[in-house]
Amino acid sequence: MSEITDTEQLETTAENPVIGIDQLAGDFKYDMTYDFDAGTGLSERTVDYISAVKKEAPWIREFRQNALKTFLSKPLPTHWASKDLETIDFSKIRYYLSQGLKPKRTWDEVPADIKRTFERLGIPEQERKYLAGVEAQFDSEAAYSNIKEAVSKQGVIFVNSTEGLRAHPEIFRRFFGKVIPTGDNKFSALNSAVFSGGSFIYVPPGVKVSHPLQAYFRINAENFGQFERTLIICDEGSELTYMEGCTAPKFSTATLHSAVVELVALKGAKIQYITVQNWSSNVFNLVTKRGLAHEEAQIKWIDCNIGSRLTMKYPGVVLKGRKARGEVISIALANDGQHQDTGAKMIHAADETTSTVVSKSISVGQGRATYRGIVHIPRQLKGCKNNTECDALLINTNSRTDTYPAITVRGDRHAVQHEASVSRVSAEQIFYMQQRGLTEGQAMSLSVNGFVNELARQFPMEYSVELKRLIDLEMEGSVG
Amino acid sequence: MAVAAPARPAAADLLGVFTPEVFAAHLASQAALPSWWLERKRSAYSRFESLPMPRRTDESWRFSNIAGINLGGFSPAADAPAPGNRRAPEALAIAPAATLSFLNGRLSASTPLPADLAARGVVASAISGAIARHPGLLREHFMAQPQKLGSAKFAALHEAFIQDGAFILIPRGVEIDGPIVVVHEVSGAGAAVFPHTLVIAEDNARATVVDHFVSADLSRQFACGANDLYAGHGAKIAYAAAQCWSPEALSLQFNSTVVRRNARVQSLNLHLGGRQARHESLSQLQAPGGFSEMLAITIASGSMECDQRTLQIHQAPSTKSDLLYKNALLDRSRTIFSGLIIVDPDAQKTDAYQSNRNLMLSDEAESNSLPGLEIQANDVRCTHGATSSRIDPEQEFYLKSRGIPQKAADELLIFGFFEEVLNRLESEELHAALRKLIRAHLRR
Amino acid sequence: MSSLEIKNLHVSTGDKEIVKGVTLAINTGEIHAVMGPNGAGKSTMAKAIAGHPDYTITQGDVLLDGKSILEMESDERARAGIFLAFQYPSEIPGVSIANFLRAAIQARMSEGEEIDASGFYKRLYQKMDLLKIERTFTSRAVNEGFSGGEKKRTEILQMAMLEPRFALMDETDSGLDIDALRVVADGVNSLRGPSLGILLITHYQRLLGYIVPDFVHVMIDGCIVKSGDKTLALELESRGYDWVKKEFANA
Repeated sequence: MSEITDTEQLETTAENPVIGIDQLAGDFKYDMTYDFDAGTGLSERTVDYISAVKKEAPWIREFRQNALKTFLSKPLPTHWASKDLETIDFSKIRYYLSQGLKPKRTWDEVPADIKRTFERLGIPEQERKYLAGVEAQFDSEAAYSNIKEAVSKQGVIFVNSTEGLRAHPEIFRRFFGKVIPTGDNKFSALNSAVFSGGSFIYVPPGVKVSHPLQAYFRINAENFGQFERTLIICDEGSELTYMEGCTAPKFSTATLHSAVVELVALKGAKIQYITVQNWSSNVFNLVTKRGLAHEEAQIKWIDCNIGSRLTMKYPGVVLKGRKARGEVISIALANDGQHQDTGAKMIHAADETTSTVVSKSISVGQGRATYRGIVHIPRQLKGCKNNTECDALLINTNSRTDTYPAITVRGDRHAVQHEASVSRVSAEQIFYMQQRGLTEGQAMSLSVNGFVNELARQFPMEYSVELKRLIDLEMEGSVG
Repeated sequence: MAVAAPARPAAADLLGVFTPEVFAAHLASQAALPSWWLERKRSAYSRFESLPMPRRTDESWRFSNIAGINLGGFSPAADAPAPGNRRAPEALAIAPAATLSFLNGRLSASTPLPADLAARGVVASAISGAIARHPGLLREHFMAQPQKLGSAKFAALHEAFIQDGAFILIPRGVEIDGPIVVVHEVSGAGAAVFPHTLVIAEDNARATVVDHFVSADLSRQFACGANDLYAGHGAKIAYAAAQCWSPEALSLQFNSTVVRRNARVQSLNLHLGGRQARHESLSQLQAPGGFSEMLAITIASGSMECDQRTLQIHQAPSTKSDLLYKNALLDRSRTIFSGLIIVDPDAQKTDAYQSNRNLMLSDEAESNSLPGLEIQANDVRCTHGATSSRIDPEQEFYLKSRGIPQKAADELLIFGFFEEVLNRLESEELHAALRKLIRAHLRR
Repeated sequence: MSSLEIKNLHVSTGDKEIVKGVTLAINTGEIHAVMGPNGAGKSTMAKAIAGHPDYTITQGDVLLDGKSILEMESDERARAGIFLAFQYPSEIPGVSIANFLRAAIQARMSEGEEIDASGFYKRLYQKMDLLKIERTFTSRAVNEGFSGGEKKRTEILQMAMLEPRFALMDETDSGLDIDALRVVADGVNSLRGPSLGILLITHYQRLLGYIVPDFVHVMIDGCIVKSGDKTLALELESRGYDWVKKEFANA
């Protein structure tokens, strides 16, 4: 655990005992000249424009147009979700703009202003070396894309989704939209209509990718929705860890981010997908993430949500093959004005499948953290197991947390357990630390860190720049 | 082909058999009652008419078989049940302080309270009689709480069509040891009844009340019942309900519990009957020191759906609620448990617990659990848990290794499973009586 | 006199064979100790004889008075007179010891016959006194929250109440301090007699100082490799199991 060194700073920010992630750190923007811009609003013409710019095959244009119809016909899910969704004005959003279609290959080719943005994000020099293996999406298209030599030698395909469609249609088409059908929800339909960017990864049978593949996403245009589409296929017996981290500049009007991420783990494959989300607090982050785990495959979502105004994200695993395993590890931090509506879906569809969900949320000030979960075990299966634990920590008297799980079990051959608890930082614990000479703020910070660190240990810390920076240090420094 | 009719729901879909004509006839039969009561009924009926039927997208009806909530094919139960088809329902083996028996909604028998209790102002009477004698209390407590769990329409139907029910009043400081037993019996195919039990325990009063719902025959019936429990400051109510309707019955039951300062209410609902049985239970903890203990035991068998919706609202600081709902699922049965704990922004020092345990005894059975929390205060202790599991094979083997046959072993383990709930009862007699009902039900 | 014959017994769990051809005959009135290191298959053999569903008998037979019991359900075997004292007795929440024992005794009675409640409690209390079990235990849930010693004493209490012909005692001494061991051993010795045969599974000689066996068998790797009288146990105590293994390997 990091030490607190700057006690003076602690005191100056002590008036509100709030664990604020420093959202101002991403609060800046540079003027951009967008080579392609689909304008604002959404119509068939917008969709045609995007498809034309990307020089797509007719089937994908048709796919987009059908998705648009689905999007328009579906109501907002406000019968269960936040009414805040109604404040999104879909006609004022830019659905596509791009720096240009050709992804940059080397660091030298990356435009200087983009490099400057990365600098401001504080990605250290040594991390940029890691970026040699990174797909960094800048706005809609990859601004930087370079496959690490070793990885490509193993036969791994790691490109953006546009290139994946163009260069590997036979793999792409076979899996695309199969895990998350267009009509899964209103926002998956929206993504299916206007998607651009995101990663396409294929790992051949038996290949174990030793380094996590990484991608950074940013939004940097007012009213600009980002709709990346990621498709990852791990062939039999292969292994992959993928990391996605986002921060965004802050703008005066709401920004929409609506990604779709599909994972396919074929027999015996293992996929670990790690997200550190720190959009600025005006972003609507409405994301659909789901994996399909075949026989003896494992899919693990590690999901950390710190930023955004409203995040709705429930990573799921469809356990399709015998002995498949699904896991969701979730950390959410909701500050004033934020609603982290996160959770997990575990759909058991084969015998002896197991799933685990561990969720920890922290609500600060008037922040609201919500856990929603689905565990579904249909009839005629045997030996399925689920274990779900949700812990919520409320920092201030007016902080809020909700838990809404739905668990369906059919048959008498399964074991399912859900437990949730709500607590605040123990006064006893704070007193103990104060007695050892820590200020109340320091003690609170340590305590909250302890609450999260249980899960943070699950992150591969050596790679997790974002998490370390956003949770460990910033949280400690801003508790007063 | 004729031109299609405009797309609006047919009245039958919204009202079932409870048409304005049927309501008018019912009202005419009640003409002797005070006008304010009839006015309430009229206003309830218009609410019933205007409110929509539950929809698939209603969160409070998630997982429910909405098609099963069909109000067709019933009629308000006749005065005298059709003779000759009665079975003798299993009676509750307890010695009551008083009893009230209702047959098809009309008071059919009663055992009066001991004279000393009556002298101290305790009332255990029919609501029809209390309307004139205790209008203030009825206005204050009868169906007075909000319907928050999805059945506002059916609660309005209950209020519009209620024939009669039990009115139980324990005045300030009076403590009663023996239970007051209310039997609600329904007889005849297609009979619709609207049973009601209202319990008012004034400050520091104490009483035990038991509702026993029974069908005189095995036909399809509709029970749309409610019970209101009000515990004044320091009052203590122990309430138990044994729901033994016909296996073909449609049952909708709405419970409201109001807990005042330092009051304590324990309610235990035993669900054994019904093809589709929905139970909504609302506990409002309105003042510091209040404690509501919500217990339920369900044995779901055949193709029964038992649908339980609960809400624990902590409206004041330093209140406590503890919910334990246990379901045993046999055959092709389904259960739904949807529970929510709400802690209001100022209800610091809340201690709330909610637990739903499902024992799966058949490969065809289905349990649905929706344990929910909405917490807006930070100095609270709130936890919930839900499990669905089978009988532990190691326990089963242990019992069998002692020579206990499978069926007896499973019965022992089912009782063991329920014991945690039954043990919460203070009355040994009630505990034994409920055990007996459960055993008889399991051995049918 | 009754007999329990174990003939060339092979037992597997999953795909793994644990017991690999054990032959052993016990008569009522006799105590046989089966000793052996951890993992030798002693407990597996006992559970398989009692009919535990996790264990499959792949070969051989178990005969009670000449008749195979392998087709019988575990509860039928128990009623036929076989009692397994568990190494790790299950906790059964919500089921009191009294109710549990009543159900077990009721199961042994013929249809329509009712248990005599006062006679039952009289017998129960007498056995409990003998085993130094507090009478309040009757209303406690079976094994729930019991200490190791309480669990083992409760096993012997059940054995005393159910009066089996053959008792398979699986590591009854494990987890007991010297006082508890003595109480348990006294209990077993009090039940000892011409109508009870005992198979005593242990890997320490310690218990055999209190319950003196008529025969001692050494089980290693799923087979009985050596049999003898009580002096064999003492020899094992002083020399360990290795010499038996060597002797067996050379044979």
